[in-house]
Amino acid sequence: MSFLAWLHDTQLSVTMRDSIWAEPIVETIHVLTLTVFLGFVLLIDLRLLGLALKGRRMSRLFEELNPGLFGGFAVMVVTGLLLFCGDPLSFFSTIFFKVKMIMIVLAGVNVLVFNATIGRTLARWDLALRPPLAARATGLVSLVLWVAIVAAGRAIAYALPPP
Amino acid sequence: MTAVKALLLTFCHWCDASFFGHGIRDSTWLFPFVEIFHLLALGLLGGTLVLVNMSLLGVRFRGEPVSALARDVRPWMVGSIAVMLISGFLLFSTEAVKMYGNWAFQLKMTFLLLALLYTFTIHRKVSLAEEPRIGPLWRRLAALLSLLLWIGVALGGRAIGYVTTPPSAVGH
Repeated sequence: MSFLAWLHDTQLSVTMRDSIWAEPIVETIHVLTLTVFLGFVLLIDLRLLGLALKGRRMSRLFEELNPGLFGGFAVMVVTGLLLFCGDPLSFFSTIFFKVKMIMIVLAGVNVLVFNATIGRTLARWDLALRPPLAARATGLVSLVLWVAIVAAGRAIAYALPPP
Repeated sequence: MTAVKALLLTFCHWCDASFFGHGIRDSTWLFPFVEIFHLLALGLLGGTLVLVNMSLLGVRFRGEPVSALARDVRPWMVGSIAVMLISGFLLFSTEAVKMYGNWAFQLKMTFLLLALLYTFTIHRKVSLAEEPRIGPLWRRLAALLSLLLWIGVALGGRAIGYVTTPPSAVGH
């Protein structure tokens, strides 16, 4: 809690709070980047589930989408942290913020699980119209988590006290 | 022009008074619920558009026909446009008359109309065309215009919440 109080008093936090432009600009970048990051995540999940981009080589898809995924994620994290800095105590006081952070970590764990298990044998099912059960499961977990993360993110805006 | 404006305003009043306009406005959780659909479809629409346009620009999926990729993502693109239009209309209907006088909303609708017309005509033709039929310069221009128009829609949408509508601009 004392860390949050300290953060609240930093110049960065004050600027995010007091500037007319900082918050709208950062939030706009956050939402616009969502179109690349979330869009790519959903497309990969749908491919894993055998619903979209059927018959496209999974490895090629990762190759083509990974720069956008990683770059997009980095922008989401930086802009998200800046928004958090604007009012860390209020953010942290909402259940939605905590749930959102936990789910983002879980989504990361899901990627690690994929890479450590079914992802290792990718070459064997690279072109499969319907990937193996384990791959579909990680795709579904990711899809559900990201939908919930978007929902929690939206809920934060309603839970925060009005400026 | 005045006739069109009057018609639009009447339509906005009707939306405000409609059962869905009422229902979503009066419920605490329906508005955010619809917003989540709007955002998820935004993600998917953005993802598919960026992929097709990157491919047209020649920065992603090199050596693969753009038309195949465009065909593959088309159902998801059209589907997310449909979800965006429906959810967007529902959100609009909760404060339609207020939106009528909001310049950011007007800007967004102008961009949206242009983006939709463009996406389903020229952009569709260019992205689904067999490779040698359209030169690389035209493909790149088509991709850039698509990105510009949709970014215009998104920025207009972002601005709506920050624009306060003077009460004098609304009403009969």
